Amino acid sequence: MSRKGIVCLSKLTCLLLIVCLAAVSVSGCKKSATVEPIKIGFIGDLTGDTAIWGQAGSKAGQMTTDEINAAGGILGRQIQFIPMDGRGQAVDSVNAFNSLVDQGVLCVIGTNFSSCNKAIAPIACQKKIPLLGTTCTNDAVTVDQATGLVYPYSFRIGYTDEFQAQVLGKYAATELKAKTFASFLDMTQDFAQTETTWFNKAFVANGGKMVGTVSGRSGDNDFRTQLTKLAAMKPDIILLPWFYKDVALIANQAKELGMKIPFMGPDSWDSPELMGLAGPALEGSYYCSQPAFARPETKPFHDAYVAKWGSEPEAESLAVHDGLYWVKDACERAGKVDPVALRDALESTVNFQGLMGPITVDIKTHNPSKEASLFHITGSKRVFVGDFKP
Amino acid sequence: MFLQQVVNGLSVGSVYALIASGYALIYSLLGFSNWAHGDIAMVGAYIALIAQTSGHVPFWLAVVLAIAGAGCVSMLSDMVAYRRIRNNHSPKMFLMIAAMGLSITLQNLIMVTVGPRFRTYGDVIPVRSIRLGGISLGVLDLLTMGIIVVALIALGLLIGRTKFGLGVRAASSNMVTASVLGVDVNLYIRLVFLLAGVFAGMAGVLLGLKYNIYPTMGSIALKAFIACVVGGLGNVPGAILGGVTIGVMEALVGGFISSGLRDAFTFALLIAILLVRPSGLLGKNIVDKA
Repeated sequence: MSRKGIVCLSKLTCLLLIVCLAAVSVSGCKKSATVEPIKIGFIGDLTGDTAIWGQAGSKAGQMTTDEINAAGGILGRQIQFIPMDGRGQAVDSVNAFNSLVDQGVLCVIGTNFSSCNKAIAPIACQKKIPLLGTTCTNDAVTVDQATGLVYPYSFRIGYTDEFQAQVLGKYAATELKAKTFASFLDMTQDFAQTETTWFNKAFVANGGKMVGTVSGRSGDNDFRTQLTKLAAMKPDIILLPWFYKDVALIANQAKELGMKIPFMGPDSWDSPELMGLAGPALEGSYYCSQPAFARPETKPFHDAYVAKWGSEPEAESLAVHDGLYWVKDACERAGKVDPVALRDALESTVNFQGLMGPITVDIKTHNPSKEASLFHITGSKRVFVGDFKP
Repeated sequence: MFLQQVVNGLSVGSVYALIASGYALIYSLLGFSNWAHGDIAMVGAYIALIAQTSGHVPFWLAVVLAIAGAGCVSMLSDMVAYRRIRNNHSPKMFLMIAAMGLSITLQNLIMVTVGPRFRTYGDVIPVRSIRLGGISLGVLDLLTMGIIVVALIALGLLIGRTKFGLGVRAASSNMVTASVLGVDVNLYIRLVFLLAGVFAGMAGVLLGLKYNIYPTMGSIALKAFIACVVGGLGNVPGAILGGVTIGVMEALVGGFISSGLRDAFTFALLIAILLVRPSGLLGKNIVDKA
């Protein structure tokens, strides 16, 4: 290299150094001048088959964040809501969680799928970041099934499968006076088996009897084979623990086969779309859901959501809303913004008032004690029957 | 109950047969499995839905548009994805991989533009059934089966009795010889893609009427593919026989053995056929099956 070249290079190096120094000092200034917002992550199915829930949750989260920020944020700090796509799949949800932790979130809200939260819970404990499941209902979401101990960092906003299945089973036997029931299970979903087991327990305890089960797979689309078998069993009630889109297919096909047996189902039925897909075919059926828009205190939220997004909110929207306010409540009780302090405060929650009802956390299971709402389908409309406990 | 299950099976089997016939057409000519075939059906279902909900056209017109649209998409897919690979004389495997890519592209395109929600055509044909000596026959099912039978007979006549059919058969028997003898092979390939697309569009609308419309609804084509292999790859009557066989078998296994084991039986049948009679029920002996 020539002499001229060396001079040129050293000049360039000096210039580069100055630019670097300037950049560092500017960013340093920025840090000390304004407080960074509190980051709260959200994982939901934003693109898959069940994106209807993930998107409703994400929209509600954005709306609630704006509301909290307008009222002064959490302990004087603004919050930033970061939604990530978990695609309703365990692997994608774990990836989303890890990426949120890398971005420095305080805690993560989501998902509404037990299969996803079961996979994330141990990682949340390892990384010490609280995870607040929305409407995931399996026991294993908060309790390690191998040891029977609670996952310290895994919480949930809604109730469990065990709980809602007992509500349904008891109601079927005592109020509907059903003597027999049969179950049609989705074999790809854990909750279907749990629901059947606990529905059976509550139903038998109140004098009923199970006459059989059949199973199918979500995505098969044609369920007439199984329905023909169910019709031959002649039960008074058919338990149908499936997601709403399959519920619609099954109900329409049952009607086509001339079956008139009413169905009962858990909160996986819960979507305003269900009535459009299969309202007439579900005449006389019952389902149970998280306490939602039947509660009068949810009206302002409902109206604000419709006004902002132009679509109907889902129960998932309320769960995300309650989750954010629950985090705010816990941080304020803890007096600081820190994942470990937040966890302790969440665990000691007593009677937090959310739109889906009060939350009091059971230390042994992290399950909130609350009620389940029952709906009756009549004239292609969902009619609120009441709130029940098993 | 036995008869009811056979009726259930025939109804599902006829849909498999319709999709399988489109598969078989393309296989017979190009010797590869067109994995995007089910997704062309899905696009057809969405074209009818959009024409009906956004275009406010009567349903029969929406169906015509769907069938025409799916045919065009199918023909375009050949021009965009397959023709270059074919002209380069690349291995058949490349065509199959291109088809998989096209399948993912179409699914995501619909997911992003229309959205992932489950849709229906509404009350075009109300859920009703006719009872006949303890068996219930769905009105929609009867209609579907009728349409499918007519369509398949028309396809049989087209392939067996017309000059176009003769050209297709000549090209499928040996493409080089046919082209030497003056058959415009590329034109025939394009027309076969159009025809397969028309069948896929029809199947898509019927599936949408019977079940729901959603971006991954094309995955039913996997069963149709098994139907093709069982019946003999590239053999249209074989594909129809295979489709009906699988539909009825699924219903009987589901009804009398276990609905959980149903798919296991279907795939076991596939393996058995491949071991005992690799060319399928009605197939001729061909060496390369990609």
